[in-house]
Amino acid sequence: MATTYTSETEKVAAAPPPETRAPAKKAHTFALAEVVLRFLLFASGLVAVLVMVTSKQTKYLSVPGIPYKIPRSAVFDHSPAFIYFVAALSVAGFYGLITTLFSLYALIKPGCCPKVLSHFVIFDVLLLGIVASATGSGGAVAYIGLKGNKYVNWGKICHMYGDFCKHVGASIAVSLFGSVILVLLVLLSIHSLSKRIPK
Amino acid sequence: MESQYKGSYSNGGVESGGVANRRKMRGCDVVLRFLALALTLTAAVVLGVDKQNTTVAVTLVPTLPPVNVPVTAKWHHLSAFVFFVVANAIACAHAAISLALTLANRSGKKGITMIVVLFDLVMVALLFSGVGAAASIGVMGFEGNSHVQWKKVCNVFGKFCHQAAAAIGLSGVAALVFFLLVALATWNLHKKH
Repeated sequence: MATTYTSETEKVAAAPPPETRAPAKKAHTFALAEVVLRFLLFASGLVAVLVMVTSKQTKYLSVPGIPYKIPRSAVFDHSPAFIYFVAALSVAGFYGLITTLFSLYALIKPGCCPKVLSHFVIFDVLLLGIVASATGSGGAVAYIGLKGNKYVNWGKICHMYGDFCKHVGASIAVSLFGSVILVLLVLLSIHSLSKRIPK
Repeated sequence: MESQYKGSYSNGGVESGGVANRRKMRGCDVVLRFLALALTLTAAVVLGVDKQNTTVAVTLVPTLPPVNVPVTAKWHHLSAFVFFVVANAIACAHAAISLALTLANRSGKKGITMIVVLFDLVMVALLFSGVGAAASIGVMGFEGNSHVQWKKVCNVFGKFCHQAAAAIGLSGVAALVFFLLVALATWNLHKKH
């Protein structure tokens, strides 16, 4: 017991810099990864909202009884699910922006505000719920638009408004990416928290 | 020796008061998991048995009296409801397995705890997206959408819609319970830090 103890101390004394620098370096890597992930969250929220908002498509359809064609447009705010989607993704993007700035500040000045940073994890889980539900609701409506439903006579619309549907699909894919980013963020926070527990 | 002893205890608490606290936490965890199990099971079953037969009066020819046509609403006619039931079934299975793991894992092995938290997190995402999908289709059924001529169906299938709404509400509470489980786990880590 004693000999192993001395050999341990000798080892530590022989090579102190890597022993002490390794956890600090790891923590730095974690902080850097957190900044990158938060920035990706902000970017995906922004892209999803922009793609969804710019999805307007106007078609000129002929209606029986009227000699000329009338314009009919497909806009995202015709469906409450897409409105919820835009609201939720805006919140996620805004949150991503704020937390990116915070974690960048913490990266530059290590140990400035650990209390604030460590409480982000709860909000991350909350945002994960919001973004996941937005993805689900947008995806469900978009699926009906793509395939239609013959049981309740909801006809598909994507053969008429192809561009609109492409925009909506791309936006939903980006928000799915955003929810994966949120899962990774929470896992990273939990992992780094459990690493910092004093043994 | 010393580090081993502390290592096996590191999941509990550093002080002696931590043991009682830890037991309370574990009890809270088990109760929440049981609640999640019950809620997801109920939600899946309530929507899974949802079916309604009714008749709709259809006028084929304006001069003749309307003809009564039998129509049926089933939960698997809508793909969003299928996703909802599958998501709830998966969450229910996870709740059962993690309940067993938590009860078996008395010593508080860190690896098992981390895996359970990881899957809790996935269940939060899965349940919330299932609730979102089913709720958006449910709103469409209640309100319809005049822009694309999707007519509302809940004036015909009243009982079906109410049962679906109950299932969505139950699943929403279950999703919140999973959220609380993840929050509890992170809070636990904070206390030990």
